[in-house]
Amino acid sequence: MTFALQSGLFFRRKLLETLRQPVWIITGLATPLLYLALFEPLLRSVAGGSGLPAGRVLDVFVPGILTLMAFGAGMGAGWVVIWELDSGVIERLRVTPASRFALLLGTVLRDVSMFVVPGIVVTGIAIGFGFTAHWAGLALMFGLLALFTAACSATSSALGIRLRQIGSLAAVVTGVQLPLTLLAGILLPLSLGPDWLRVLGLLNPMYYTVEAARDLAAGTITTTAVGTGFIVTAAAAALAQWWGTRSYQRAMA
Amino acid sequence: MPVTESPPVAIRAHGLRKSFRVKDQAVEAVSGLDLTVAPGQIFGFLGPNGAGKTTTLRILTTLLPADAGEAFVAGADVIHYPQQVRRRIGYVGQLGGADGSATGLENLVLQARLYGLTAAQAHSRAAELIELFDLGPFASRTARTYSGGQRRRLEVALGILHRPQVLFLDEPTTGLDPQNRANLWEQVRQLRDGGTTVFLTTHYLDEADQLSDRLAIIDRGRVIAEGTPAQLKQRYSGDTITVTPVTSPDDLPALEHDLAAMPLIRSTRIQDGSIRLAVTDSTRSMAAVFAALAEKGIAVRAASLAQPSLDDVFLHETGRSLRDAGTPAGRPAAEQPTAEEVAA
Repeated sequence: MTFALQSGLFFRRKLLETLRQPVWIITGLATPLLYLALFEPLLRSVAGGSGLPAGRVLDVFVPGILTLMAFGAGMGAGWVVIWELDSGVIERLRVTPASRFALLLGTVLRDVSMFVVPGIVVTGIAIGFGFTAHWAGLALMFGLLALFTAACSATSSALGIRLRQIGSLAAVVTGVQLPLTLLAGILLPLSLGPDWLRVLGLLNPMYYTVEAARDLAAGTITTTAVGTGFIVTAAAAALAQWWGTRSYQRAMA
Repeated sequence: MPVTESPPVAIRAHGLRKSFRVKDQAVEAVSGLDLTVAPGQIFGFLGPNGAGKTTTLRILTTLLPADAGEAFVAGADVIHYPQQVRRRIGYVGQLGGADGSATGLENLVLQARLYGLTAAQAHSRAAELIELFDLGPFASRTARTYSGGQRRRLEVALGILHRPQVLFLDEPTTGLDPQNRANLWEQVRQLRDGGTTVFLTTHYLDEADQLSDRLAIIDRGRVIAEGTPAQLKQRYSGDTITVTPVTSPDDLPALEHDLAAMPLIRSTRIQDGSIRLAVTDSTRSMAAVFAALAEKGIAVRAASLAQPSLDDVFLHETGRSLRDAGTPAGRPAAEQPTAEEVAA
């Protein structure tokens, strides 16, 4: 049970760190709400046709926004890791008998909760705007996106430890963010695009997460896309935890 | 059962090696290092920057795997059973390691719980350390608001919280003002008196000299001299008397010859119109030299007595002064591996 206890201790430590800087919580909420307030009307005016029926703009758009939130909540982890390497915190913790996986998981769990809680707020607001809520599907979607956050968070920590420079990390994260999110069809479904775009999307693991999230939000739970989405996302999350733990084992300031 | 070694040895290392890749070139930071540290003493590890001090420390504290060799700390095998070593040692790194976004109290309680204390035990141990290190006035503030000295006290408290058998301190007084430095020395001595073995690296000669019970001098990844500070200084240099007599320079060699024949004088040398005498007992020698000169009716213009320093030991062994040894060319920052080296 030591492992669960240590993960809990590290989770608590990270949660306190976040709660002491509420500005991050506010900016984390501001982005999706701005998308809802400013981008959704734009989308509504271009909607129509089979891929994006006019009446269901929010139903297509909200899962994308939530995936973006999950990505953002997870990818911030690496910045703090670099700061903790520079101040010797990680080195100190590595000399204690604490599990390295627990150390990683503290940040991962914090990031997951920093996705889930604001995500629920945003979903609530979207429902007010006319988003159709399918409760079972929504619950599963949050589970899927929590896995996705865990994958992003552990990847970001691993990148932070390996790159060790804020500048390099920023370059890598912003460099992959745009192609990854565009090719996942986060803002607009890739099904609207030409074949070659859809083929490129198939190479992007995040694409499967977004497709599954859309099906779940629409209340269709038993589709192939949902199954594939869970398998790909869970595999990515597991791989990222392994990589992150390994990075912590070798971390050196 | 893990293979363990019973005390009386606190640290034993044999043939330790570690090299890093720096720009496709292997640089050996630790090259076949041997070391034995008896328990209950302050052991100084002195050397210039880049000598391999921090790399050795990181191997002994399980942070870095060695390429070759074996090491036992507090009776546990560092290479094969690092988890056992971690339970028995404390470590205060050069970077410190206090979590700036947590309060001093939170830092201490978390550390205590990671060593297996219950919440109640952790709080009572934290309270003891807050008292011991005088952290009370700011224990509930986040550590990022601490001054350098306050922060260092918290970090040492974190290092000794679980009453480790061996405490490792990496350049503990770097960046501290004289007052905080003196306080830290005092705390280190108290820990030693309480039975803890303290292993500390330093590049300060006076720190190694005054604080260590024994010390090893390290250069280019290996130990070049080892003993008590007094032994080392005596072995390599002894005290030096310099006298400047009022005579013509032509008379100096004859005078030197006469002085060299006296007891207690180990060697003599003429330098800049003065005679330098390496002696065994400075007080008695000084008196004897003055008496000899007075007998010859030679006046003395100036005389001085120099205590030997650890720098003389380093100079004797390496031909370089420790003060300017620094990081020699070809060994760039070998103590700070880059990401590639760690990943390799």
